Amino acid sequence: MSLTEIAFYFLSFLAIFSALAVILSKNPVYSVLYLIVTFFSIAGHYFLMNAQFLAAVHIIVYAGAIMVLFLYVIMMLNLNEEQEEKTKNWVKIAAVVSACSIMLILVSLISKSTYNMGKAPMAGDAGLVQNLGKVLYKDYLLPFELASVLFLAAMVGAVYLSKKETSKS
Amino acid sequence: MKELLLTALLGIGILVLDILNLKKYVLPFILLALATLVGFIAADWGTIETPFGQTMLVYENGANLALGVFAVVLFFWFILSSSYFKQHEGKTDLYALVVFSFCGAGLLASFGNMAMLFLGVEILSIPVYVLAASKKHDLASNESGFKYFILGSVASAILLFGITLVYGATGSFDLAVISNFIQDGKDASIIMNVGITMILVGFLFKISAAPFHIWTPDVYQGAPTWITAFMSTIVKAAAMVALFKLFTGPFQFYVEANGYTIGVIAAVTLIASNTAALWQTDVKRMLAYSSISHAGFLLSTIIGNASLLSLLFYLLTYSIAGIIAFGVIKETQTLEGNPLKGLYRRNGVLAFAFTAALLSMAGIPPFSGFIAKYFVIAQLIEAKYFALVVVMIITSAIGAFYYLRASLNVYQHIENAGRIVLTPLIKWTYILLTALLVLLTVAAGYIHLL
Repeated sequence: MSLTEIAFYFLSFLAIFSALAVILSKNPVYSVLYLIVTFFSIAGHYFLMNAQFLAAVHIIVYAGAIMVLFLYVIMMLNLNEEQEEKTKNWVKIAAVVSACSIMLILVSLISKSTYNMGKAPMAGDAGLVQNLGKVLYKDYLLPFELASVLFLAAMVGAVYLSKKETSKS
Repeated sequence: MKELLLTALLGIGILVLDILNLKKYVLPFILLALATLVGFIAADWGTIETPFGQTMLVYENGANLALGVFAVVLFFWFILSSSYFKQHEGKTDLYALVVFSFCGAGLLASFGNMAMLFLGVEILSIPVYVLAASKKHDLASNESGFKYFILGSVASAILLFGITLVYGATGSFDLAVISNFIQDGKDASIIMNVGITMILVGFLFKISAAPFHIWTPDVYQGAPTWITAFMSTIVKAAAMVALFKLFTGPFQFYVEANGYTIGVIAAVTLIASNTAALWQTDVKRMLAYSSISHAGFLLSTIIGNASLLSLLFYLLTYSIAGIIAFGVIKETQTLEGNPLKGLYRRNGVLAFAFTAALLSMAGIPPFSGFIAKYFVIAQLIEAKYFALVVVMIITSAIGAFYYLRASLNVYQHIENAGRIVLTPLIKWTYILLTALLVLLTVAAGYIHLL
């Protein structure tokens, strides 16, 4: 087994283990901490695929910004005690059964399918910042610029929802 | 391209007008811009434009026509909803959000690349999540926005997963490359079929077809009525146009292989919505179920080899009827008790427009809903989906029952009816829209000339 393979299996095990721990731990703060581990192990996968930029962004955005937000909300709402589950049992069973069957279908279909593209779609250095920048600002310039409309709309929405109304209607 | 720039800049322009304290000019500004947009489309008729020589966006006749339909519907939506938004404190914010959402609808009409498709779906949906929750002190509105947000995000995630799987199978986001991949006789691998199925699921949610329709009644009922009108017309129409473009274009082989499955989905949608609508006492909730049943009709256009024209005709007639019906509900909402009862004594124009809209939705001539349904059913018969046609006819009969019940309610006699006063502009717009419902029937005869 090469070093890359060992790293791959280690990261995969870590990702799956911590993802399970996120949903199984009763204390929300532990869940969030396990979620950080999950994000880091996925970022490790990006490194293995030579996509350093994506890995860095993934850590900054998810493990940095979003996690802080999560923790902040948990602290604000004082959710850090273990809580009684209110969901009905049959809802849980139905959710587990349907989620597992979707996973089963996807795994079986994807393992059976053939990739007839012939060659790998990307060169090994496709994930480097230089190449990514070239693709983003040449081939995907229009979607890149249009994403600004999306962010502007989201920002207007967020400001509108959090703005204090002067008169209660 | 200038159509897209115009809508994006219009959204920003509205925000700038707010900063400059020119709030009262916002509505005329929007209407002028939308009229200009329709002018651009008319000027571009017959040309094919691909901005920057890329196939990210392709403006051909079909895309332009779809964009024109959205613009016309939005134009009337802005006029009719003006009385509601006039008193609203966050008027300019909400107008800007609506225009941004319309910008997403424009992308969905003209995309030529999966990246644009996903951006379009997100630009279309995210403002609407906020709009649905825009009555900040109303719990029902908050619930509506939150439900729509959570479920809509999951649907977007499934759509995105599907897009990546299709990319994995074909190595491209470009619709033309994906269609060539199939036409070159390359084997559509299982992974591609899984991807297309996930894209279909994402869109079934967006157009609220069964079995992903459960969110619709709650969200439609809780959202402010004019926002419901926007969701059930333009948002749904844009998602449907994108679905149609995909599944009659690059994914046609999928429809040919799985036509019966899609037919069953359409039939289940029709049965579930129409039987549930029978028991509704709230008119807004009933119209939400009616909106689901129209999704059944819309979905079946992709298996019946229908043309984009007949789909757009259906969308236009349904959208006009939709904004009339939701508009009348909003105008009467301030009254207590059963606000629609005896509406004809309060305001004759509203009562007649409401009846016309419901009869058009039920598919009763001379209103254009009849022709729209006729197109769909005729094409299904040609494609030999007889069982689905039977389901459509039976469920339409059930539909006619609850539509007629609601419209008869309007003509019940009541004492001491207080008048509802409309401004002349709004009154004449209702009259014009009602007339359009009849005129479109006539226009349908000339549809082949386009």
